[in-house]
Amino acid sequence: MGRKLLAIFRFLTHRSKDERDLDRELRYHVDRQTELNVQRGMDTQEAHRQAVLSVGGIEPLKEECRDARAGRTVEALLQDIRYGVRVLLKNPGFSAAAVLTLALGIGANTAIFSVVYGVLLRPLPYRDGAQLVVLHQQLKQAQIDDMPFSVKEINDYCDRNHTLTGIVEHHTMNFLLIGKDTAERVETAVVSANFFDVLGVKPILGRTFVMADDRKDAPAVLILSYKYWQTHQSGDPNIIGKVFQMNNRPHTVLGVLPPIPQYPSESDVYMPTSQCPSRSSPAFIQDRNSRMMTAFARLKPGTPLDKAQADLSVAASQMVAANPDVYPSKYGYQMAVAPLQNELTQKGRTAFLVLLAGAGFVLLIACANVANLLLARVLKLEREFAVRAALGASRGRLVRQLLTESVMLSLVGGVLGLALAPAALAVLVKFAARLTTRAAEVHIDLPVLLFTMLMSLATGVLFGLLPAFSMGQWVSEAFKQAGGRITTSRSRHRMRSLLVVAQVAVSFVLLIGAGLMVRSFSKLQQVSPGFQPDHLVTLRFSPGFPPYTQETLPPLLDTVLRKVKAVGGVQSVAITSGFPLNPSGIVNGPNANEFQIEGHPVPVDSPKPQTTLRFVTPEYFDTIREPVVKGRAFSDHDDAKALPVAIVNQSLARHRWPDEDPIGKRVKFERDPRWLQIVGVVGDVKDYGLDRPFADAVFQPVKQAGFSNRLVVRTSLDPSAVSPLLRATFHEIDPHIAVDQVETMERLEYDSMASPRVMTILLGIFAGLALVISASGIAAVMALSVTQRSHELGIRMALGAERSKIVGMVVKQGLSLAFVGTLIGMAGAALLARTLSTMLYDTKPTDVLTFLAVSLVFLSVAAVACFIPARQVTAIDPLSALRQE
Amino acid sequence: MAKPKSDLLQGTLDLLILKTLELEPMHGWGISQRIQQISEDVLQVNQGSLYPALHRLEDQGWVSASWKASENNRQAKYYQLTALGRRQLVSEKENWLRLSTAVARIVGA
Repeated sequence: MGRKLLAIFRFLTHRSKDERDLDRELRYHVDRQTELNVQRGMDTQEAHRQAVLSVGGIEPLKEECRDARAGRTVEALLQDIRYGVRVLLKNPGFSAAAVLTLALGIGANTAIFSVVYGVLLRPLPYRDGAQLVVLHQQLKQAQIDDMPFSVKEINDYCDRNHTLTGIVEHHTMNFLLIGKDTAERVETAVVSANFFDVLGVKPILGRTFVMADDRKDAPAVLILSYKYWQTHQSGDPNIIGKVFQMNNRPHTVLGVLPPIPQYPSESDVYMPTSQCPSRSSPAFIQDRNSRMMTAFARLKPGTPLDKAQADLSVAASQMVAANPDVYPSKYGYQMAVAPLQNELTQKGRTAFLVLLAGAGFVLLIACANVANLLLARVLKLEREFAVRAALGASRGRLVRQLLTESVMLSLVGGVLGLALAPAALAVLVKFAARLTTRAAEVHIDLPVLLFTMLMSLATGVLFGLLPAFSMGQWVSEAFKQAGGRITTSRSRHRMRSLLVVAQVAVSFVLLIGAGLMVRSFSKLQQVSPGFQPDHLVTLRFSPGFPPYTQETLPPLLDTVLRKVKAVGGVQSVAITSGFPLNPSGIVNGPNANEFQIEGHPVPVDSPKPQTTLRFVTPEYFDTIREPVVKGRAFSDHDDAKALPVAIVNQSLARHRWPDEDPIGKRVKFERDPRWLQIVGVVGDVKDYGLDRPFADAVFQPVKQAGFSNRLVVRTSLDPSAVSPLLRATFHEIDPHIAVDQVETMERLEYDSMASPRVMTILLGIFAGLALVISASGIAAVMALSVTQRSHELGIRMALGAERSKIVGMVVKQGLSLAFVGTLIGMAGAALLARTLSTMLYDTKPTDVLTFLAVSLVFLSVAAVACFIPARQVTAIDPLSALRQE
Repeated sequence: MAKPKSDLLQGTLDLLILKTLELEPMHGWGISQRIQQISEDVLQVNQGSLYPALHRLEDQGWVSASWKASENNRQAKYYQLTALGRRQLVSEKENWLRLSTAVARIVGA
């Protein structure tokens, strides 16, 4: 192989020297033979003639010698390329159109493939990522798919399984990290000491936890995530050993993680379980019902997933048998094991695959178009091809030349597409980041480049082969009619029509997809959130415990409310434990607090009612404009000394008291001995995203419930102008209160719709591209057909056909193609649109209105595309057509 | 690819060339003369097919070529066997012997 390549290389680089050598070598032979012939008595001229004849002519012999060399095919290829470049440059319009169409198609595919590869296909950047699994506790009857674990449960599974090498736990907490002169809220992951060992993550600085770090009396330590180290510690290379105050203890930095996706959530710092105040309390550890952790595990090498699933199901049933009071059979408790890779990417899978399919469709349509353009060009060149065929060019050689041209086009398109891809990718990565923590891994790297190259080659071959095949049939035909007019064969026309129909059908499917998304998105935008999102600012403030205590916190909240209210441009302000469209709420969905209703006892072994529970100050409902529909809002009198009260939303009232007035009824939450009397009913609010149904909610006054640290502020001015004033106010109250997540509610609302918006925009772009490409395809085919039929049409006109009728005839012909394509596309769309159903809001995949609207748009565009070339008919001169006859 | 216009059996020309070059390096014309002489003019090597064969052998690395002054003091392209070519010659000789004995047996029977 190496020899051969070397020979080809030599052949290509030494060509002129080789030619000279060949010439000298053969001349030497002829001269010697001539001498010999002269010696034998011929005269000089005859001797030379005989010598040349004896080798069969110098030039043919040279050609044979060249053919004997390796690299001859390469030379032929170079010839084809030179010829192709000349041809393509001579038809700049055709070439530019083809390259541009292909570049768009290939660019889109490259960008989307990088996401699909980086997120769905590439192995996890953990050691043997395929062995990593997530454990889910499920209560089938209560429709809970992912109940958190308690310490006892994790220990049980550790002891009872035979298929896992280690189970590790993970939960997140929000702590205040206090440096020399900074106080920051940090998202803290609390993990088992062997968490990083089980995942197989090596730190880039320092070390990860060891078992000794998890002992009760061990000094407190932290590991920083790469991102936090970079953004908040400016990548300080001497960070190891640095000490921060946290939870009133000094914490020493042990290590820094590499830039890897974090699961289940992005955290700033990691600590071992013994350091988390709630996780390490003996009461928490003892209580089998105190659940807050996620559990991961690594399969023993060679263990298939279903074996681990069976093993853990046995462990689960043993655990249930040992604790029948905790897992009543009516709950339908079970254990499910899922590969970590799926968990990381589940949410984005459909969206990415739909986009990849969309981009693939666009490329197919583009291919069909270029094939059609190429076919049209081949038709114009048929006489040239016929002559070349007559002069001895083999059919294979002609096909090869066409393929060379098409592959050149597609490769140039590919390079251009690669140049376009990074811009598209930047948008896509942002989009992907909402769906998976793996988005950070998306790059245009070697596999992606390889994919793009193969895709370019494949498209080139695909749209080059179609015209090449149709050419084969007529070369022989061309011989018969050499010099005469070559009539268009039926089959070639049929192929062009087929291409157009296919294009139309595929474009139609894309348009339906985009149409459905647009319809769903516009419905989503019309959803009333149940409150007024404009002129609202939200933020999180985090006073540390200490210096604050249960006694000093309530006065602090009063101060905050008073001072913020005094800020210019602030209309009203409230403190709450949460607010609608909060990003973490959108990610995690409603939290489930179990409660009892007085007079409605629930049997021990059946699920208790659940609701979101939120603590708010009296002005909350007025501030966000959530209407009080019955009873009253909270007042300042609802304090710790007063009767415990609650407000419910309409959704909960409807579910729990369908035929009664909820006012005056009493409810009680777990771990709170008090019965709360319902004093009001408020309207429903889209707390967890505009596309979600309303969730049940119960509100309690902050003063009767507990500390809350979110601020919602209604402003009379532009809310973004007020934000800096709010920060300044907190700094004035206490510089050690960390303030973050300052956002306007409009921004949050906009962000909450980011995924459907990006999907809609991307599919819209694809559909738009498809529409333009296939419209131009129709126009090009009709134009060619008119040109080729100008003779026939001229005679029709000469015989008295009206021009308008002929235009109509041509348009009708084109439209019938579009119509057939649309029908096929409709069938395809009806089948394919179902994959979109999880992404559609209040829109059926077979939405009649969308199908009608898209058909109408499509057919009108097709009509215009037919009409423009049909107007060329008016330029036909009937007389010249007659004269030709 | 064009096939050598040889009356000789396919592959036999290669064997003849390699065998001729076994003694000493030689230019194309010399090879054709030598083959004719040794075969006592029985084998008229088609000179038109000699050169493509030489180029093919060179490409395969069985012979190498260099320019040297020839017996009449002109520069000529001399071919010589490479180590690879020597090995090839051995195996082609064996092949030929096997083939020719087989043919001889059939013809003589």
